[in-house]
Amino acid sequence: MPEIILKDVTKRFGKFIAVDKLSMTIGDGDFVTLLGPSGCGKTTTLRMIAGLETPTEGEILIGGKTVFSSEKGIDVSPDKRDVGFLFQNYALWPHMTVEQNISFGLENLKWDKERIRDRIAELLAMLKISQFGKRYPSELSGGQQQRVAIARTLATGPKVLFMDEPLSNLDAKLRTEMRSELKRLHAETGSTFVYVTHDQLEAMTLSTRTCLMQDGLLQQYEPPLTVYHRPANRFVADFVGSPTMNFIEAKGDNVNLDEIKIELPGMRLIFTPTSGSLTLRAGQAITLGIRPEFIRIEERSTLRGKIYATLPSGMETVVRIQVGENLLTSVVFGSIDFDVDADVGLGFAGDHCIVFDGESGEKLAHGKLAAV
Amino acid sequence: MTAANRFKSFIRKPHNVILVALAISLSFLTLFPLLSLVRDTVIVHPSELMSIRGSKPGDLTIFHWRKVFFDGETSQNLFYKPFWNTINISLGACLVSLVLGGGVAWLITRSDLRWKSFISTAFIFPYIMPSWTLAMAWLNFFRNRLIGGAPGLFTALTGIETPNWFAYGAFPIVIVLGLHYAPFAYILIGGILRNMDANLEEAAVILKASRFKILRRITMPIVMPAILSTFLLVFSSCMSAFAVPAFLGTPVRFQVLTTQLFRTLNGLNPGYGYIMALVMIVLGTLILMINQWFVGKRKSFTTVTGKSSNISLVKLRSLRTPLSAGLVLFILAVAVLPLVTFAIESFILAPGDYSFKNMTLQFWAGEGRVDIGGGEPGILLNKYIYLGLWNSIRLSVVVALVAGSVGVLAGYAIVRTRGTRLSGYVNNLAFFPYLMPSMAFGAIYLSMFAKPNLFIPSLYGSFALLVLVGAVKYLPFASRAGINAMLQLSGEIEEAGLILGVPWWKRMTRIIFPIQKSSFLSGYLLPFISCMRELALFVLLITPANRVLTTMLFQYNEKGWNQYANAINLMIVVIVLVFNTAINKITGASIDKGIGG
Repeated sequence: MPEIILKDVTKRFGKFIAVDKLSMTIGDGDFVTLLGPSGCGKTTTLRMIAGLETPTEGEILIGGKTVFSSEKGIDVSPDKRDVGFLFQNYALWPHMTVEQNISFGLENLKWDKERIRDRIAELLAMLKISQFGKRYPSELSGGQQQRVAIARTLATGPKVLFMDEPLSNLDAKLRTEMRSELKRLHAETGSTFVYVTHDQLEAMTLSTRTCLMQDGLLQQYEPPLTVYHRPANRFVADFVGSPTMNFIEAKGDNVNLDEIKIELPGMRLIFTPTSGSLTLRAGQAITLGIRPEFIRIEERSTLRGKIYATLPSGMETVVRIQVGENLLTSVVFGSIDFDVDADVGLGFAGDHCIVFDGESGEKLAHGKLAAV
Repeated sequence: MTAANRFKSFIRKPHNVILVALAISLSFLTLFPLLSLVRDTVIVHPSELMSIRGSKPGDLTIFHWRKVFFDGETSQNLFYKPFWNTINISLGACLVSLVLGGGVAWLITRSDLRWKSFISTAFIFPYIMPSWTLAMAWLNFFRNRLIGGAPGLFTALTGIETPNWFAYGAFPIVIVLGLHYAPFAYILIGGILRNMDANLEEAAVILKASRFKILRRITMPIVMPAILSTFLLVFSSCMSAFAVPAFLGTPVRFQVLTTQLFRTLNGLNPGYGYIMALVMIVLGTLILMINQWFVGKRKSFTTVTGKSSNISLVKLRSLRTPLSAGLVLFILAVAVLPLVTFAIESFILAPGDYSFKNMTLQFWAGEGRVDIGGGEPGILLNKYIYLGLWNSIRLSVVVALVAGSVGVLAGYAIVRTRGTRLSGYVNNLAFFPYLMPSMAFGAIYLSMFAKPNLFIPSLYGSFALLVLVGAVKYLPFASRAGINAMLQLSGEIEEAGLILGVPWWKRMTRIIFPIQKSSFLSGYLLPFISCMRELALFVLLITPANRVLTTMLFQYNEKGWNQYANAINLMIVVIVLVFNTAINKITGASIDKGIGG
């Protein structure tokens, strides 16, 4: 069964390094998302695995078979890698009907007509587009085209499915709908999915493992909730989560054996690591990272702030609070409304607050935070 | 709103004023000539008094129509044979240019061919050079003794006598026209292939289709509309080509419509010529209508994604180097070798003898000698050549300025009022001259402006007439460039200036023109180059005082003074190439922007 292994894969376009020494293993049956801002090399990575792009260096194995190796001079063409590819703009052939689009791949496998017809009917039913078989792509809506593209990709029953931002051309409502469809599809087919997106929410909700990239470099490759709660560095922490994480630049000092004291104008905090002890240089620059949902509004707290703005959206309310020089974001369940400039007390919950190195941005520890 | 107020608000907008002005002037300059042409087919011309007995000039007659279409053998020789010759060579040339241009376009955009940037630059050369360049080169190489005169380089080098069918007539015309228009096909088809969403082909690769199957089932059907419209455009260009059949066909009396047109209009029966011009215009219009119908019927399939540069290229493997090298050699043969032959021919004293002893500078820098070329001095000492050169450059510059500027205005007005009937009307009028064969266009202007007309005095023999005919004929290039440039520019850019109270003139010169500078300038470049190398359009209108280089070349060639003709041709080619390269380097304007669209 297919397991995809990348070893030191590098892709250069002239002087520009699109992907830099990327090594990762995609397990059989995984749903892996390649996540990152545009230009980070995620699409290039996907295209290299599929064989549409030739890496400059490195080695790629699919299901134990080397499909690319710069050293051994192996470069298996995409059609021999047994993969499916779903393109961002669907790439449906405009001059063929829905049925012809789907049957094209099966004809190439020399299936007989009867079998092709059955397979098309099965796929059309599965994706709920049976009534559109005779239509041309231009006569379908975006969502329907998307389904046709999926049907065409699934038709040959590939064990590995690559998807390049397949939902980015859909409107918000349809995107949510297709997300759950894709997740079901993954369960039903049991195939390995590799999925490129710049939408962190898609990555969070869909994948079993998320691969975060920046400037061609792998930042973190772990299950989405790990990425969310234990980001490897500041970039990852900032990229994942909405509203974004609060970052407080500060200087920290070790106190009481294991605790860290952080003093800022209007803020005196104590950080207790739960990930093992943390030793800082005296006055070391650190960045404190706190997810909005871990900042609570507690009237009696000694830590005080001023309401900057309140943004209720019904189910939850985003509250922006000015504390000293920092503008913090808190998410509160339910709808509440504060007056602008009202005085509130703040507290911190859970043990998911993070301390990053102020210079390198690497994660140093996570733990509890308390105001004193 | 009252009608008066409506009119006031309509006329306050500059684009409406331009549009109305264009509608009136273009109607006068394109539709009116057409009517005048139709009239010319049914009246007696002064030179026809001998053949139409008992008639006075200006009498109505159906003599011409009867002679051209319904007079047995005469009609056969006069019209039908040249007509079918025209159709056949145009089809043949289309085939050559589509296969060659399309093939190169595919190799450049879809394969790992070597030396792509050289090939894609040099492949355009034959289109930039005058069309007869290759025709003359063909003659320089392959002419034979059978027609009289000296044999060409090929015979001189190998001793093999070229057969007539190979040296003259349909075969070389098809090849030469095909080569000349291959870059045109390359630019159009290449543009489509470049813009075609590469994912469409990649999707097929993933689904295990072979390269050939992808080409046949995916690529071809998708670019088919583009290929068809390229076919039609090349066909109508070939149909109206004059210089190539004149050079290669005349020695064996192989006539096409354009050469017949020239003979009849210059001879005793202009009425015949006007009918043939009309036939060509009808054909051209038909082709445009087919094209528009076709484009309208099948919406363009191409979608620009910006990811196309990522396409995985077809590996030519063992064919890569031989194919690339072969293509480079071929391009050198059609783009550079002709120039070499012109140089060689212009130094040969006695034609046909290519030995070093026979080389002379006589035709370049010699004093006039009575025994050579009618006593004409070498072209570098010949004041008439300088006059022609000056006329050519002056004419091309003025034509380019007029056509280019009108093109910018037309593009502006047409795009701003897009969707209105008047806009569509002006758009079609501005494109109409493209369909008129140059020779026929010249003929119409000759018939229209030879005598005073409305408020315009007789322009025959004047520089103004050449400017007028050139500017109108090349307006389609300029207006296409202008329209394309304007379409890419959102209206808000101008409106932002409008809100700030920037006057129209400043909006044009300070905002719109600078943003789309290179596209607009392409609209100046194309008329300039076309005008520099134009023959058919001017050949009927020229008088000794305003001869241009191309017509002088044609006259020298007709007289059989090959060396002069070759020297002048070399001069024209060098000027055109130098100007094109300079303008391209300085401003970024290029001819493929003009036609590629």
